[in-house]
Amino acid sequence: MDKEIIAQLKKIVGSDYVMDKLEDRICYSFDATFKDSCPDVVVKPGNLEEIIKVMQLANRHGISVTPRGAATGNSGGAVPLRGGISLGLTRLNKIIKIDIENKLAIVEPGVITDDFSNAVNSTGVLFYPPDPASSKISTIGGNVAECAGGPRGIKYGVTRDYVLGLEVVLPDGKVVEIGNQVDGDMSGPDWTMLFVGSEGTLGIVTKIFLKLAEKPEAKQTLLAVFSSLDDAATAVTTVIKSGTIPTTLEIMDNLTIRAVDDYLKAGLPVEAEAILLIEVDGSKVEVEKQSGQVIKVCGQCGAADIQIAVTSEDIDRLWKARRAISPACGQINPTKFAEDATVPRSKVPDMIRKAKEIANKYHIKMLLFGHAGDGNLHPTILTNKHDHEEMRRVELAVEDLFKVALELGGTLSGEHGIGYMKAPFLKWELGEAGFAAGQKVKAAFDPRNIVNSGKMFAA
Amino acid sequence: MDKHIEQWQQQLVKCIRCGTCRSVCPVFQITDNENTTARGKVKLIEAVADGKLELTREMQKRLEKCLLCKACAVGCPSGVKTDELFMSARRALAENNGISFIKKIAYTGLTYRVLFNLALRMGAAFQFLVLRDAPDKKGKLARIPLPAAGLNNRRLLPALAKKPLASLIPRVSKPANPRARVAFFPGCMMNYVYTAAGKAVVDILLANNVEVVIPDNLYCCGIMVAASGDYGTAQYLAACNVRALSAEPYDAIITGCASCGSTLKHEYGLIIEDPSVRQNWEKISGKIFDFTQYLTSTGYSKDFAEIRARVTYHDPCHLVRGMNVSKEPRTILKSIPGLELAEMKDADKCCGCGGTFSLAYYDISRSINEDKIDNVEKTGAEVLLTGCSGCSMHLSDGLSRRGSKVTVMHTAEFIACAYAAKKREGP
Repeated sequence: MDKEIIAQLKKIVGSDYVMDKLEDRICYSFDATFKDSCPDVVVKPGNLEEIIKVMQLANRHGISVTPRGAATGNSGGAVPLRGGISLGLTRLNKIIKIDIENKLAIVEPGVITDDFSNAVNSTGVLFYPPDPASSKISTIGGNVAECAGGPRGIKYGVTRDYVLGLEVVLPDGKVVEIGNQVDGDMSGPDWTMLFVGSEGTLGIVTKIFLKLAEKPEAKQTLLAVFSSLDDAATAVTTVIKSGTIPTTLEIMDNLTIRAVDDYLKAGLPVEAEAILLIEVDGSKVEVEKQSGQVIKVCGQCGAADIQIAVTSEDIDRLWKARRAISPACGQINPTKFAEDATVPRSKVPDMIRKAKEIANKYHIKMLLFGHAGDGNLHPTILTNKHDHEEMRRVELAVEDLFKVALELGGTLSGEHGIGYMKAPFLKWELGEAGFAAGQKVKAAFDPRNIVNSGKMFAA
Repeated sequence: MDKHIEQWQQQLVKCIRCGTCRSVCPVFQITDNENTTARGKVKLIEAVADGKLELTREMQKRLEKCLLCKACAVGCPSGVKTDELFMSARRALAENNGISFIKKIAYTGLTYRVLFNLALRMGAAFQFLVLRDAPDKKGKLARIPLPAAGLNNRRLLPALAKKPLASLIPRVSKPANPRARVAFFPGCMMNYVYTAAGKAVVDILLANNVEVVIPDNLYCCGIMVAASGDYGTAQYLAACNVRALSAEPYDAIITGCASCGSTLKHEYGLIIEDPSVRQNWEKISGKIFDFTQYLTSTGYSKDFAEIRARVTYHDPCHLVRGMNVSKEPRTILKSIPGLELAEMKDADKCCGCGGTFSLAYYDISRSINEDKIDNVEKTGAEVLLTGCSGCSMHLSDGLSRRGSKVTVMHTAEFIACAYAAKKREGP
């Protein structure tokens, strides 16, 4: 990159926050996916004014800008595919306001999700529902960009459902405020919805207005053990049909159960074909009614055993198994493809069957676990990136998974986003006309194609 | 070099770049820079293995900006042995670029035991030239700032002891009918600086009817040297220590310093290459214990005086993650009547010292320590106990800078006091 540009960037944000040595660029070349691409320079602005000036400079010279939070994404959103500037936003890390009366919060994009959740929890009356698995590390800005979900999504929705408004620096450096703090509505179309999940391809989010939820009075956690995967899948759809919407409805298949048990030695039912982890919340009366309903339905669907966690230790024990899946996978195979192709709830049994067929067809190790209640099964393929022959089979299997999900009326991504990973398949879901419309939206906001180019609507 | 790369690959392939290390790394939490996270450094090492990066000095700087506190290794969901990987990379970088001149001279000094002993004894006599007493007499402050040696003139350093431990206590301390015979490895800090803590370990063992030998010809354990990548010197020191500790049969080898203990017991497995030295080390490594571990596993006397005090305990990295020792000191402390052990938040988080890290990056080191000390003060404890000399030094410095009333003591000193007080009281 031109030395003159680097000098100007240093003038804008201060030389401590501009890094162009190869050793530093390498550290900013990746996220949780497996492709790397070095930025030419890492820039870490400290406030709105600096971001405006950086964008003006970049736009004038046509320099690529890739916004970056904690780079924990699973679709490649923070990888600077076209070099240019990696724009680190973690210095904007203030929780500006938590307003208990109006149940809303104003935060900067670099706030860590858990730090925010804990701050909201400490009010005693409110909570922030989105709970992506990476919440200890991820930033709220990244969650908004990718529209992150989490186990609580089935009842409480995903990040999109909590964004009231945004302050955004557009690629040319102009600032817009979309949505509002009152009800999120805006005169005209819902622009906020357009920006949530846009993966930094339309502009740089610099401030976020979030809606908060009331803390439920009580909750209960249950574990249902099934000797048939089909029965477990049927239970998922039947529970929801019965009128009970659990807070979480997570499934683990046999391979996952065994992997976790090998890792934790937690005494899980390793003979079971599937287990469901179900949590219900609400008032004490509601919780009792709902858990009764869940037990009844699981029993009717052929559950071999149902455990009810009463004490917080019991609840922790059940959740520990769910949280241990990722590390347990790491112990088996080094490379992990965590997919999030998602289908309508009613199609969960079909999706499970098809996924198993694909795993058999390509002789690959595929674990099924995840937010079954959302239709998001996280088919996770364990492989080794150095085994090129197997990697080829994995790629084919992933393509088949996408096809099957779409055939069942689902989507490529339940919560991880498109990024560079799924960009080649986006047309399958949107069709030629939808894809072209998306490209026009992108061009309207970013005519010089500088923000996070190469992602999503990149042909 | 190819040998290094082959070794690295086994760890590199496991990193899924999930970023969990961002949530546990004390240095990252201060710097907010990906070049200090484990996954960032793993990526640099991978770039070297892939031929995309040379072993540059810039890379060396980034690898050195690490406390080696093992928090990333323990917290890694994929089980990447980052601690071993970073030590090995530091070695390759040192082989390629060398280490700083001052470090080289200091480390060469460590291999000449007699000279080292003499230098530190002379140092005790002449330290007044560069160091002055702190106003509260708890340690020494630099008279003039010596940035090259990491001596900020507001930094509190412990005074060198007037006489080393080895000349304060006999080579063999034997109770009337010993139940066991152990070797005690005091290490440099207990031998030359914190001699009272060293003596306390011996007193505790004697109070438990254990015969204690301080073997001849012990050297520095070598962790500082190995951490800088100077494996040649580290291997020499390791060979000397293994020889000294194998010269006679002992029931156990006892350490009182977290870093020495984890180095002798675990890091030597990575450092020693000579097959015969390795064979001898394998014979003794299973017998190496922190003194608290030895006491709780073989049983200990509960003849403690009542001590009405509120204390808190800081887990040194090299004890909790290095030797898997965290329950043991707490168990013993809880058996002292009247004593209240108030746990601090994040007791097992690094204090920020990291050996030579605190010399090179004192500001970061200080910031990490400030959080730790906030947590200490919130417990309302009068005494802060810990089992590592490096931690003691850094925590004392932090407490002194803010004029705190909390006193730092080695766990051994406190336990020895409880035994001694009971003895004075009589049965």
